[in-house]
Amino acid sequence: MTAHEPKLAAAAPPPLAAKTHSIEQIRYGCAIGAMQSVAAIPRAVPVNHCGPGCSDKQFMNLAFYNGFQGGGYGGGAVAPSTNASEREVVFGGADRLTELIDATLKVLDADLFVVLTGCIPDLVGDDVAAAVKPFQQQGAPVVFAETGGFHGNNFTGHERVTRAIIDQLVGEYDGKRVKGSVNVWSLLPYHNTFWRGDLAELKRVLTGIGLKVNILFGPESAGVSEWKAIPSAQFNLVIGPWLGLETARHLEAKYGQPFLHTPGLPIGSGETNAFLRRVASFAGLDKGKAKQKLDAFIADEETRYYKYIEDFTDFYSEYWWGLPARFAVIGDSAYALGLTRFLVNQLGLIPARVIVTENPPEEARDLIRDQFHAIAHDVSVDVGFEEDSYTIHQLLRATDFGHKPPILFGTTWERDLAKELKGAVVEVGFPASYEVVLNRSYIGYRGALTLLEKIYTTAVSASA
Amino acid sequence: MPINLRTPVVESREQRLGTVIGWEGRASDLAAESCYARGGGCGSKARRVCELQSPFTQGSVCSEQMVECQAGNVRDAVLIQHSPIGCGAGQVVFNSIYRNGLAMRGLPVQSLHLISTNLAEKDMVFGGAAKLERTIRDAWERHHPKAIFIANSCSTAIIGDDIDGVASALEAEIGVPVIPLHCEGFKSKHWSTGFDATQHGILRQIVRKNPPKKQEDLVNVINLWGGDVFTPMLAELGLRVNYVVDLATVDELAQLSEAAATVTFCYTLGSYLSAALEQEFGVPEIKAPLPYGFAGTDAWLRAIAKQTNREEKAEAYISRERARIQPRLAELRKLLKGKKGYVSTGSAYAHGLIGILRELGVEVEGSLVFHHDPVYDSQDPRQDTLSHMLDTYGDVPQFTVGNRQQYQFYALLQKIKPDFIIIRHNGLAPLAARLGIPAIPLGDEHHVVGYQGIVNLGESILDVLAHSKFHQDLAAHTRLPYRKWWLEQTDPFVLAKEKQAAQAARRKPTPLSSSVRRVTAK
Repeated sequence: MTAHEPKLAAAAPPPLAAKTHSIEQIRYGCAIGAMQSVAAIPRAVPVNHCGPGCSDKQFMNLAFYNGFQGGGYGGGAVAPSTNASEREVVFGGADRLTELIDATLKVLDADLFVVLTGCIPDLVGDDVAAAVKPFQQQGAPVVFAETGGFHGNNFTGHERVTRAIIDQLVGEYDGKRVKGSVNVWSLLPYHNTFWRGDLAELKRVLTGIGLKVNILFGPESAGVSEWKAIPSAQFNLVIGPWLGLETARHLEAKYGQPFLHTPGLPIGSGETNAFLRRVASFAGLDKGKAKQKLDAFIADEETRYYKYIEDFTDFYSEYWWGLPARFAVIGDSAYALGLTRFLVNQLGLIPARVIVTENPPEEARDLIRDQFHAIAHDVSVDVGFEEDSYTIHQLLRATDFGHKPPILFGTTWERDLAKELKGAVVEVGFPASYEVVLNRSYIGYRGALTLLEKIYTTAVSASA
Repeated sequence: MPINLRTPVVESREQRLGTVIGWEGRASDLAAESCYARGGGCGSKARRVCELQSPFTQGSVCSEQMVECQAGNVRDAVLIQHSPIGCGAGQVVFNSIYRNGLAMRGLPVQSLHLISTNLAEKDMVFGGAAKLERTIRDAWERHHPKAIFIANSCSTAIIGDDIDGVASALEAEIGVPVIPLHCEGFKSKHWSTGFDATQHGILRQIVRKNPPKKQEDLVNVINLWGGDVFTPMLAELGLRVNYVVDLATVDELAQLSEAAATVTFCYTLGSYLSAALEQEFGVPEIKAPLPYGFAGTDAWLRAIAKQTNREEKAEAYISRERARIQPRLAELRKLLKGKKGYVSTGSAYAHGLIGILRELGVEVEGSLVFHHDPVYDSQDPRQDTLSHMLDTYGDVPQFTVGNRQQYQFYALLQKIKPDFIIIRHNGLAPLAARLGIPAIPLGDEHHVVGYQGIVNLGESILDVLAHSKFHQDLAAHTRLPYRKWWLEQTDPFVLAKEKQAAQAARRKPTPLSSSVRRVTAK
């Protein structure tokens, strides 16, 4: 597509039956699903004060049938739970929680324990702070967060858990700032199927331009010591449209720590170059020797990236049996935005529909809309916000995908729909029950190449 | 009456049967304490088995999850989860299982249709009934299902939403059964109450009352998603199969009352439905051990044959099958000699699997079952699978009851040091793997049914023993999340016993614990 063509705009969603609260085929868990955010911190363990099924539901769905990631060191079936019964409902469960924490400290070997509450204690009004306090006073690394399911989804729970650790474990700080050190707040662990590989790539490229990176979650994190170093970082970096912003604002208020917000998840060389230059500028790494390092790193990555893109070009320009032209993205705003930019600007694909599914806070939606309006100088997308898969699938059925089979970037819920539309699906988000994911990444320089492999392996697999 | 279908709320397992989730000892002692086929005279309802309650517990499974995987897997029904969104997370796992189950059974593959009422904070204050009404209408307008199930949750039970009232009003309006299921997780300590809750609703609102015809060659088979093993088996006797509850249609559930008999692959799953079908609809349940191993399968087939007057056909089939599998069985016994197995599954199913392992010549010194029902709803000692196992195959010295507590599994495996484990539920195999022990995940629960099942399990053991290389390599490169102190404990119930001792020291012993009660004969 060239600048001479008229500005391309994906159609506004067609009118539907009145929207209700019902959600069919879910696309997120509830607040206590943030037990897996705890499990994403090396040597941290969630302690769940909830009904007997809450832990299993959250981890089996977020961590098992979503990329088969595994429960983690302290999540999954390791996580202690009060398994609250009728007794805790009628008489309250604070005593039972005290008993469980006490036993947990004897049985489990961890650096941090995060008590998460479910619907039961939040409704019957257990004083969880009082139950946790004696352990904190004894110096045990125990914090708590209120995460009953009716408070919100696992994105909400994630921010609450993060806040709890900062306020109750990290605490006050009046020491020095380490220049060139950054805390990264980005993808939602486990929910984002590729978070481990993606955070590793983010850490790699940020380290590459000379930053010391507290990545905080996943195999590349140093664990609790890294969390304790949060206040000494030069700044906070929020990568994504909104998740982590609340945390960054809190850190700004608490420690006077500035933050940089980059709404787009960088995918591909162009996006990642721009991202790194913006971060470097904010961090003051764009002058003198630091700039030389920045330029050298970007040049090196770019050269390598385009070697592969050049080789890929033989396939991309000569393959006979049809490659998709129009696409839809159904997913979390962070991935949806990053993917749409990459597919449009790197590959020249045409966005037919983009639906954001994680129920972002109202105040974040204008920014998300604006970002999608400015995908390219000639491409603008009217993004939809929808969480109910029945409605989403109706929207996709009503979408004009042109004369070729569409490609859907979505979830397991789009598997049958893709067949119905005679197209293909690439599972890029929760739930991804047909992907086995270890350290795969779809972002940055390296992840973008892996994403290309995935997209076009899917496309050619449909050949005879 | 043992089973009460007049109230919409199912009686929990612990109330009906005396179910326990913490116990250890010899299997023979558990059978004696259970007062079923052994040591009878304990009344006609729940038994009392002393239960160990540990202060440390890991996440278990709840009744609502079992409703998701039962009512939620009826092919032309919709299940509404009346709850905040978190209960709906289970849709992902059960979608995968549902799709694979459909494929195994040769049925058209589709994703499941579960709808969450997606309650928020203000609904907890003002009630969620209006949202439930709206979601029932959404379910109807979207899918025109033959039935709509409603799963209650912990939160809606606490705030007291009248799901029964909403269900009956909407049933009158839309004209298909709208079935409230009282399965909130905190109501029962064991998830199997969720099986009963689903079956209770089906019995009350779907099963055809006073059916005009009976189908004398139809046998109800209560199962999960397993492959179609029962059709060819029962066809040998000239019988047809009505699989319920998973993957069934609403019509297939309605015809439960027309069948000649009811059987199940596991009494943990099928006890309530089969007993109620006999009590309320006169459909006899087969009173026999389950079809695992030679003795169990012989007895099971003969009981069905007797009930349906097909004894000659059964005898011919039994001798033919026994002879057919002998050559491979002899080879498998040679190959598996000296191997040590460990079974960790649901209760009645485990009794069957232990039997098969011993048929194969595999040593079984221990087993972990996720709960124990001292009796089943029929109260008929011919269904006492634990006693059948003891009588046929002898004792199991290290028999443990625990609701999937991974931390206890460590000491159990250390004691036995098995070459492999057999397991269905998630959460325990990952620990075994880190200790170098491979697991057979029995995804198809019918894999081990009948005579062929003995051979099937033997083949699966050979496959999994080869897997050991992966696990031994892992064991050398992993660190467990448990403290050294805990890993040194040889008694998995040491914390429970300390708690018991402390309680006894603090107060005079009371005759009954709050969670276990005994109902004497009337």
